Amino acid sequence: MAVLEVRDMGIRFGGLVALDAVNIDVPEWEIVGLIGPNGAGKTTLFNCIMGLYQPNSGTVAYRGKDVSLLPTHRRVAMGIGRTFQNIGLVRELTVIENMMIAQHARIGYGAMAGIFGSARSFAEERKLKAYGLDVLDFLGLADLAKEKLDGLPYGTLKLLEIGTVLATDPDLVLLDEPSSGMGPEEAHQLGERLLKLRQTLNLTVLMIEHHVPLVVGVCDYVYVLNFGKVLTEGKPKQVQAHPEVIAAYLGSEAEKVEADAREIRDESGAGLAPASDGGKERDRGLS
Amino acid sequence: MTSATEVLSPVEARTGPRPSTRGWIVRIGVMIVLAGIVLWRVATIEPFWADRFALAAIYGIIGLSLNVVLGYTGQVSLGHHAFVGLSAFLSAFFVTEKGQSFWIGLLLATLAGALSAGLLGLVALRIRGLYLSLITLTYGFVAVNSIFDIPALTRGGAGMPAPRPSEFATEHKFALLCFLFLGLVLWIDWRMMKTKVGRAVLAVKQSEAVAASYAVSVTGYKVLGFMVSGAFAGLAGSLFAHRATTVVSADFSFREALIWVLMVVVGGLGNRTGVVIGSMFFALFPFLVGLVNPLEHFVIDTMGKDPEELTLVIGPALALLTIILYPGGIGEQISPITRWFRGEKFSLHPDGHKPKAKKPHRVPALLRRLAGRGK
Amino acid sequence: MRSAIVTGIVAALIGLVLVLGGGAENGPNPFVTLGVLNGAIYGLVALGLVLVYKGTRVFNFAQGEFGTLAAFFLFFSIDSRYGGLPYPVGIAIALTGVLLIGLAMERVIIRPLINAPRVTVLVTTIAMALLLVGIEILAFKAEPRSLSPMIQAIDQAGNVNTIQIFDLAVEPQRLIGLGVLAAFGVMLAFFFSRTDLGLAVLATSQDSFATKVVGIGVERMSRFIWATAAVLGAVAGILYVPLTGALTPAVMTQNILIPAFTGAVLGGMTSLPGAFVGGVVIGFVQAVSLWASSTWHVGERAIQEILPGSEQLAILVVLLVVLLARPQGLLGRET
Repeated sequence: MAVLEVRDMGIRFGGLVALDAVNIDVPEWEIVGLIGPNGAGKTTLFNCIMGLYQPNSGTVAYRGKDVSLLPTHRRVAMGIGRTFQNIGLVRELTVIENMMIAQHARIGYGAMAGIFGSARSFAEERKLKAYGLDVLDFLGLADLAKEKLDGLPYGTLKLLEIGTVLATDPDLVLLDEPSSGMGPEEAHQLGERLLKLRQTLNLTVLMIEHHVPLVVGVCDYVYVLNFGKVLTEGKPKQVQAHPEVIAAYLGSEAEKVEADAREIRDESGAGLAPASDGGKERDRGLS
Repeated sequence: MTSATEVLSPVEARTGPRPSTRGWIVRIGVMIVLAGIVLWRVATIEPFWADRFALAAIYGIIGLSLNVVLGYTGQVSLGHHAFVGLSAFLSAFFVTEKGQSFWIGLLLATLAGALSAGLLGLVALRIRGLYLSLITLTYGFVAVNSIFDIPALTRGGAGMPAPRPSEFATEHKFALLCFLFLGLVLWIDWRMMKTKVGRAVLAVKQSEAVAASYAVSVTGYKVLGFMVSGAFAGLAGSLFAHRATTVVSADFSFREALIWVLMVVVGGLGNRTGVVIGSMFFALFPFLVGLVNPLEHFVIDTMGKDPEELTLVIGPALALLTIILYPGGIGEQISPITRWFRGEKFSLHPDGHKPKAKKPHRVPALLRRLAGRGK
Repeated sequence: MRSAIVTGIVAALIGLVLVLGGGAENGPNPFVTLGVLNGAIYGLVALGLVLVYKGTRVFNFAQGEFGTLAAFFLFFSIDSRYGGLPYPVGIAIALTGVLLIGLAMERVIIRPLINAPRVTVLVTTIAMALLLVGIEILAFKAEPRSLSPMIQAIDQAGNVNTIQIFDLAVEPQRLIGLGVLAAFGVMLAFFFSRTDLGLAVLATSQDSFATKVVGIGVERMSRFIWATAAVLGAVAGILYVPLTGALTPAVMTQNILIPAFTGAVLGGMTSLPGAFVGGVVIGFVQAVSLWASSTWHVGERAIQEILPGSEQLAILVVLLVVLLARPQGLLGRET
């Protein structure tokens, strides 16, 4: 049983068919890539998986449980995290407040208790803040805790978004173009970081990406979406060699891409295998 | 693994030091002194003014109520007079017709406000923005023209009596009661926004998709926002009724509701302190003119106008001024003080930045021409 | 094509009710006829609302007050205690006055906010409306006055000028209203489909950025839209206020704005013929609910006595139903 099973997903907007009979499997602890040209329906697929859109057909199963009718916030509470193309942070809140709201699903007091200021709510708020600061510390963003989000550089915001997603304590993470806006160096480091996080936190990842070396270097499996349909799927190398995919993306860049990908894999040393004592690694958290 | 800070460009930490214990004691001390001065003044002033101050406190609560909807959830409610009025009538009804105590009437009024606003919240799940404002405006008209006309509830034109509780029957005591409740509402608003509710509501306002990705129940918090606003409005309604001791339908008109929206805008959307100050200003303005004798003479004798009518022009004019030139309202203007209370070092400009020089094209060309500076 | 069909259907329905109701003793037709005529005024105001919405995506809450102001200007021009001028002159003064005020407001208030969020502009039009009401109270005092219609129902000489439609004696003013609405409808339809400026306004309402790029003057467009809206509002005021019997500050906003908005939403906020149709339908709905609540009884008492204000309630119901079931209205397009 895969962590995520998408079956026969179809959605249309007016006359436009955005997704058509899409089937995706994301097995546990794998990093699965989702590539395709702009407008292929990748973000739409994410929105359907999360429940932000109601598909016209198809189902989504998370760890064997059909979540197709659940509202988004319930799916998130079950363990699915998601980043956004345009940075999914709440700009009205400060950095630390974003980290605190990320823990919303696990807050130990009710809304009413919060409104009337019960003793429990004060204590819980302190805990949330402490954990939030821990995560920020881990990311090297601790001194920005009280800052508002405007004015912070794009790279910082992207990093912060990863922090908030991790703070929701997910099992499955949907990343929407995590390397967008990054140069080759940063994308490299992102790749390493992803592999490390997958190992230490036992994450399963479904990733929309355009940065081909990253995909080839990090993903265990790749789906190619085009015009709302799955064009092909397979291991990155296979997909890379697929004539239609080459025609669409890689062209003569294929060899250079292969070299970059090898570099990422070698440098991180984390390879593709999950942690052997998965449970214990996870409980240690991020510190 | 390379650390994040090596990859990112350096950002100056602008947070600054936290105040010492002594710093907090000074701040809390100043707050207590200020509150004390206000309350002492309310308790010792002539009854006429105490009564007006009671109205100011009630307006403050109404302002805070609208601020929850308008400032925190970002929806426009043009029918708040329906919530306040309904609660006022209910409170009076339960005390007069059903023999309940003032406190029960108050509680029921608050609940009624919360429930009816909650209903509106449910409607707001499907209908957004400008169209929702239309619904609220229409609902307000319906309330005034039908619900407020039900004889059993309102005793027709004569109005429904609303006696004050014996412990707080005098003008002074009732005014202090109103201020007490204003303090309570402020505290609840503060706690609400500081905890998960506040974060959730602001997240939902900004982006429902992002809020949902934080496991925030979008529908739940939208309705909750409306219910809290309704509870505040209901409380204000009950106090309003018992201050006036008779509730008449004419007290609640759509123009009142619109003026309340404007007073929240002038106060500064989302800014608690500013909204309270703005609301009190709107409540007291007609009488403030009376305080300054020369001004009063000028208005009444030279201009031949009633000072109350002047408010009807000054209020909207201030709102327009705020929107066009000073969007943060009063709240923005007093922000150096509020930020100091929150624990930052006192400085006239946030983050050590000077405010942007006012760009010339922001001043409408017409005004520049009037100022004689040509085109 | 589609709008022509729907307009035709609605007109036929209304005509059917009017014709079928002919001759019935207690039938709805006096109410209905009145309702449709009222609806003409609603339609006129709705046209202004839709125009502003099409051009700027904003709800103009001040649309009603353009009418009240016009009525005041007219009153003070023609009343023997003040101006004593002939009626047509009064109308000219009223229209010009409101037009100038509309242009002034556009320049000083609307233009600086051209890129502000829509909620802000909404609150701005509310403030504008209240400002106008405040000025009216301050300048003209709140006592009710009586503004006479263009053609008196019963004039000085005792002649009766009303026109009989079935069982109802209709004042000429109402029929003039219907005629004016039709005239404006045709004019605007012609304008939007044939003239350059009209097409530009339509283009702006669909994609304002593109029109800016192409070079159509956004400022000129804004001026035009507000000027026309002001004139439409003024005309509505001139037609309607004499029929209410009392000219008081905020009279138009109080009586007309909500039905007009509902009519605009019903017809489709992006459709000009929709505004026309929607306004008339709302007048019809209002009339029918008034008739129903006064003639239908629960036990001994008419519905009206138990729950007054049913006309408003009916309008709220229509508004809710439209916004929940078909937000783009009868003739509007998906926004």
